[in-house]
Amino acid sequence: MSDAVLVGNPNTGKTSLFNTLTSSYEYVGNWSGVTVEKKVGRLKDKSGILTDLPGIYSLHPLSRDEGVASEFLLTDSPSLLINIVDASQLERNLYLTLQLLEYGKPVIIGLNMMDVAESRGLAIDTSRLAARLQSKVVPLIARTGAGSKELLLAMSRAEARDNAGFRVDYGEVVEKAIELISREVNGLFPSLSPRWLSLQILENNPVVMESSPFLEAGVRSTVSKIRDQTEQQLRSLTGTDNSSLQEYIRSVRTTLIQQICRETVDFSQSKPHTLTEKLDKIAAHPVWGVPLFLLLMYLTFQLTFDWLGNPLSDILEGFISGPVSSLAIQVLGAVGASDFTRALIIDGVIGGVGGVLVFIPQIFIMFLIISFIEDSGYMARITIMMDKLMEMVGLNGKALIPFIIGFGCNVPAVMASRSLEQPKERLLTMLLTPLMSCSARLPVYALFAGVFFAKSQALVVLSLYVLGIVLALLLAKLFSRFIFSGEKSFFMVELPPYRWPQAVTLFRSTWEKGKGFLRKAGTFILGGSVLIWLMTYLGPGGIASDMDDSYLAAVGGLLAGILEPLGFGTWQSGAALITGFMAKEVVVSTMNIIYHVPDLAGLQGQIAGAFTPLQAYSFMAFVLLYTPCLATVGVLRKETASWKWTLFSIVYSLTLAYLVALIIYQGGIWLGL
Amino acid sequence: MAFCRSCLLNLKPGESGTICRFGQMDPVLKRRLADLGISVGSAIQVKQYCLWGGPVVLECSGQLLGIRKKDAVHIEVAVS
Repeated sequence: MSDAVLVGNPNTGKTSLFNTLTSSYEYVGNWSGVTVEKKVGRLKDKSGILTDLPGIYSLHPLSRDEGVASEFLLTDSPSLLINIVDASQLERNLYLTLQLLEYGKPVIIGLNMMDVAESRGLAIDTSRLAARLQSKVVPLIARTGAGSKELLLAMSRAEARDNAGFRVDYGEVVEKAIELISREVNGLFPSLSPRWLSLQILENNPVVMESSPFLEAGVRSTVSKIRDQTEQQLRSLTGTDNSSLQEYIRSVRTTLIQQICRETVDFSQSKPHTLTEKLDKIAAHPVWGVPLFLLLMYLTFQLTFDWLGNPLSDILEGFISGPVSSLAIQVLGAVGASDFTRALIIDGVIGGVGGVLVFIPQIFIMFLIISFIEDSGYMARITIMMDKLMEMVGLNGKALIPFIIGFGCNVPAVMASRSLEQPKERLLTMLLTPLMSCSARLPVYALFAGVFFAKSQALVVLSLYVLGIVLALLLAKLFSRFIFSGEKSFFMVELPPYRWPQAVTLFRSTWEKGKGFLRKAGTFILGGSVLIWLMTYLGPGGIASDMDDSYLAAVGGLLAGILEPLGFGTWQSGAALITGFMAKEVVVSTMNIIYHVPDLAGLQGQIAGAFTPLQAYSFMAFVLLYTPCLATVGVLRKETASWKWTLFSIVYSLTLAYLVALIIYQGGIWLGL
Repeated sequence: MAFCRSCLLNLKPGESGTICRFGQMDPVLKRRLADLGISVGSAIQVKQYCLWGGPVVLECSGQLLGIRKKDAVHIEVAVS
């Protein structure tokens, strides 16, 4: 075998298994719609390629991430399908299984979450199931890796004719239609089963009906005629006049599945999810649920800053400004580096990059907490509790998933919006996600709040996060009122059983998120720091003797006049904001280089002299809201597939940042702050 | 046994019924529910109503899910 693909319902553990089988680390979590793009990896035993697809319930997609999976099956024709099935939800999962068995390629069924099924008192007769489906069935527990060896073995033994004996009988009328359509579409997709294709056409699956081979063949009208005739025949047969062909095909499959389940699953000992029920009584309580969520958010900030993050950060800061700097000075002295090199390394690189790296503890703690929420199953509960509020502003409760991910990084958050079904809500969510305060903005807050609001740092930072959320909601209302016409909307979210996140998974997810930050420190922040330092070193008149004569001062000065009403009309602030477009952490790097100080304490002293608390708050609000960083703009362009909306996102956020900072500063002055 | 048909939203938390009609429900949502194995004939239980007219939490064969009240109002159930 050469290329296998993992297919299955959402949140059944496909990516967990993918990570085990390919020794990779892709994003996992406990909600429907974690994986929104296909992922390719090489199997551990080097026997072939494995592709992981977003979860789907059927081959007929309703959202963008599901479209990715259906299109893959139509165009890529893998040689082996591994259908991951949630053993505790067998009946629902088998609906997709039947369609995959019709696909005409060998299918192995990975019966995952055997432990969950067992804890719910369900006993599954796997050999009976295998016989009924004429397929290999491998029991799995993907989270622990149990069964993956057996699965690899089964994969190596898979043969083309494995499931050839399996066939669902759809009754005379539909079978006749399948035959007729098969004749029409024969050869359009050489690698696909004509029977499968015909069924997808009868179900009016847009992925097939709008594919280019189908459109080019010009068989649409013939095929539609067959379909209409079949529907008519069915109606006269059953004596109803509103049942659709789609519903009929579904009911044939469902009846068969119910029969299979009756034969293979022993429900007699079944019991409810006691843990989930108990936790939901507290966590999703109609009255206490929301205050509890807000309390958890507050505790998150306490932990990230006051309780744990800041003390750790101080230790790290001492290490960088102490041993690391003095070692660098010694080495530079020993190799006889020029003054230029010395200044570049000490002021530029260590000042710029080191100044951001000291915030590693805060960022990692935040990532750890986000990973915990993602893996526990709490995420879906938040969407339910907040849906009413979201509906009022024209959004969907599900938009909270991208929003929460956005607190880590806006880039995957924009991608996560793919799981929203309605295009309007998806676009709106993407446009507003950058208002969620990501971890890159955290160093800016940590620096400024540490100077001006030392006593209530967590509260001040929390207020900025809340500001971002409140503005996102207000803008959602505004945009959905004036820009997007009233599209129909619904909300449906699955609530997965809670589970205690495994320590390994938790640390790996945290590390994967944190790696992105470290990589940025080595690329954008390093490059930016060198560039910024050079711009402070050089000026229109050659080497600038005073930084006020440097290029950076000239560039930053252009903005100073415009920023004046906001309270930070200095070239330093202007320069920091411009360079912050690369990555928002660079704002801190720039400040470090400009104020040219050996350590955080020195920088804090400089900043305390350059800003008042009111100006500092206004500046932080501006950093929170102004244009999304380069990487986010890139992903917005890709996901909206439109420059117009990408530019709109930049323009609205700049305008918003300006207005909000203006109100904060001028309002503050008026109040006498 | 006396059956009475009623709107799903007339059920109190903890009560269950059998779905007998979906009425004028958004067809896309109807398909989504069908994807989760919720169709005519399924037994469904109301778990909880959220405050201020928020979504209703339902359970169907061990699966928990939430939908908005304005959508759930179309579901007609038979209570035994």
